[in-house]
Amino acid sequence: MKRLLAAALATSALTATPLMAADPAAVVTTYADIAAAAYGDSLTTAQALQAAVAALIAAPSDSTLAAARTAWIAARVPYQQTEVFRFGNAIVDDWEGRVNSWPLDEGLIDYVAPDTATNEENDLAALNVIATPKFTLSGVEIDATEITPDFISGILHEADGIEANVASGYHAIEFLLWGQDLNGTGPGAGNRPYTDYAAGDACTHGNCDRRAAYLKAATDLLVRDLEDMAAAWAKGGEGRDAVLADPQAGLLTMLTGMGSLSYGEQAGERMKLGLMLNDPEEEHDCFSDNTHNSHYYDGLGIRNVYLGRYTRVDGSIVSGPSLSDLVAARDAGVDAELKGDLDASVKALKAIVTAAEGGLAYDMMLEPGNAQGEALIMGAVDALVKQTGAIERAVATLGLSKIAFEGSESLDNPGAVFK
Amino acid sequence: MRWILAAALLSATPLHAGVPEALARIGKGYQTFAAATADLDTAAQASCEGLKPAFDTAWDAWLHVAQIRIGPVEDDGRALAIAFWPDPKALGAKAQRALLTGDPAALDPERFAEHSVAARGFSGLERLLFPDAALPADPCPLIRATTHDLARMAAGVNADWPAFSDKLAYPGGPGNTTYLTDLEAAQALLTQLASALEFTADQRLGRPMGTFDQPRPERAEARASGRSLRNVVEVLKASRDMALDLHPEAPQTEAAFARALALVDRLDDPTLGSVATAQGRLKVEILQNAIREARAAILSEIAPTLGVGLGFNALDGD
Repeated sequence: MKRLLAAALATSALTATPLMAADPAAVVTTYADIAAAAYGDSLTTAQALQAAVAALIAAPSDSTLAAARTAWIAARVPYQQTEVFRFGNAIVDDWEGRVNSWPLDEGLIDYVAPDTATNEENDLAALNVIATPKFTLSGVEIDATEITPDFISGILHEADGIEANVASGYHAIEFLLWGQDLNGTGPGAGNRPYTDYAAGDACTHGNCDRRAAYLKAATDLLVRDLEDMAAAWAKGGEGRDAVLADPQAGLLTMLTGMGSLSYGEQAGERMKLGLMLNDPEEEHDCFSDNTHNSHYYDGLGIRNVYLGRYTRVDGSIVSGPSLSDLVAARDAGVDAELKGDLDASVKALKAIVTAAEGGLAYDMMLEPGNAQGEALIMGAVDALVKQTGAIERAVATLGLSKIAFEGSESLDNPGAVFK
Repeated sequence: MRWILAAALLSATPLHAGVPEALARIGKGYQTFAAATADLDTAAQASCEGLKPAFDTAWDAWLHVAQIRIGPVEDDGRALAIAFWPDPKALGAKAQRALLTGDPAALDPERFAEHSVAARGFSGLERLLFPDAALPADPCPLIRATTHDLARMAAGVNADWPAFSDKLAYPGGPGNTTYLTDLEAAQALLTQLASALEFTADQRLGRPMGTFDQPRPERAEARASGRSLRNVVEVLKASRDMALDLHPEAPQTEAAFARALALVDRLDDPTLGSVATAQGRLKVEILQNAIREARAAILSEIAPTLGVGLGFNALDGD
């Protein structure tokens, strides 16, 4: 498989300008360094969240709940910048569903408002495991008396094979900190009271001890999962070794992640579809109303990978030889266009952040007939679509081919690709 | 149209072999789609009964161009609204219940166009024409609003296509930064084909197939109108035709499509309900594999001949 890919690349290299400047091995090393730093930052900010959650559970109050929410929002900043490592790195793709699955049928986890737990394809959409220590899953009796990280990851997450049964990760924790946002496309986020974690008679909505146990277990699980991924990109880690072992394939992985996140995922699934459905549940961080930031840092992550430069949460910078250098050495015009497009999409996503911080939350932008919201969202969608075209040009400029890669993985008759 | 294409052939930038043929087919397909939805709307305004033939003709016409997800179908969410599926959270049915029982002014054409894409198009119409439970009100006004909206969108796509087609036909022309070379134009069309086949295998067949232990026949597309398999057939035929437009001498591709279509002929299962049995599911799985092989043949045979790769598509996310 590898050999075929190498052969394809060698063929195209014969016709392309010889490469003098940046070296693919150095470029993928920068990529791995950024992954290690961004997953590392995701881990430390999740550990800070873990401490804030412990403080909330120990002494529930408005201020400990607010501190936990602030820690969650801070944890999203580095994590969203890692999303660009999806869609190509097998180790990330196999793992990601545990930490950032969305959208979710939150009625699986805890109480929800009447008539909001509808999913015709999910019998568990209204399970409410916090209130239900024992239940039946596909004919099997489940004992959920003790809510542990292993119970969440091994039994409840994606139960019944249904993706909407999201039991773990950032959005499950988000739901437990904010609760449902019942304001539709009007102002306001989820408004879970801190008394949902209170002891004795002060407890609201019942089962506060089990709710606290769930929140703790889900947060511990997130930290554990992020430890795994940070290690995978450190020296000797599986993710790092995979891209370093074959730098040309690594370059294609980088560009495939950039393009897939830009187009199908961000512009399509997360932004345009939600707008066209006018559905406030179609916003990515729907409980906390933090969607503007999640989208923005996704966009920033895409640019980080191309420019080979990531700003850590402590303000220090990780940088090195970049894809941009490599593309520029072959075709300065393609590089300039892509850099311009990346700047434009980051700017368009920033405009959404500015509007949201000014009071026009992302779910309000989704309201039917909200022309300003639609213009903001479509401005970012259009910028992301445009940059996808430039990413395709960069793929071609470097003599890479998604078909050669896919062919090496799955075609029945791969020899035909290169004859 | 023909004149424009002729002019293109004489222009300085030679068009990539096959692209003009594919563009002409798409343009003709949009004309047919616009005419068929106009006919459906005319019929619905006259009577809400007996619409199945016009409904089928219009949906078939859409499926002949549905693989194209670039250009005017992407404006204003048209492609999403024309055929919104799958809809696991039943957003469409929910929005339609509100429209059926709410203020009739919401059905005015200008306002109707602003409603959620889940409530509109063929999927919405199907729920009204072939309801699985009693509807809360007379569906006729909503049927008429929906057919009108469909015809409006189809007319818009048809009217806007020539300008976009020119971008593909004249890559790198004045003001055209979308496609800079004939290779980019050919790659864009090929990518549409590949993702339509991927969607058909993974979603149109994959969703009802569910898992071996838990098949999900109730999740088939267009089950209520008995069109589940027909939708697959029409997409396969349209994809084959466009693939061979792009490159007529493609024996592996032709054979792969012929095999998939022969498997369809033997299925005799309009709603794909046979996935509920192990043997039935296996037959659908064999068809699914045949469709994936047709896609693979396009990528291994046509793409290298044209000298293009695979671009990004809407299915690249999760």
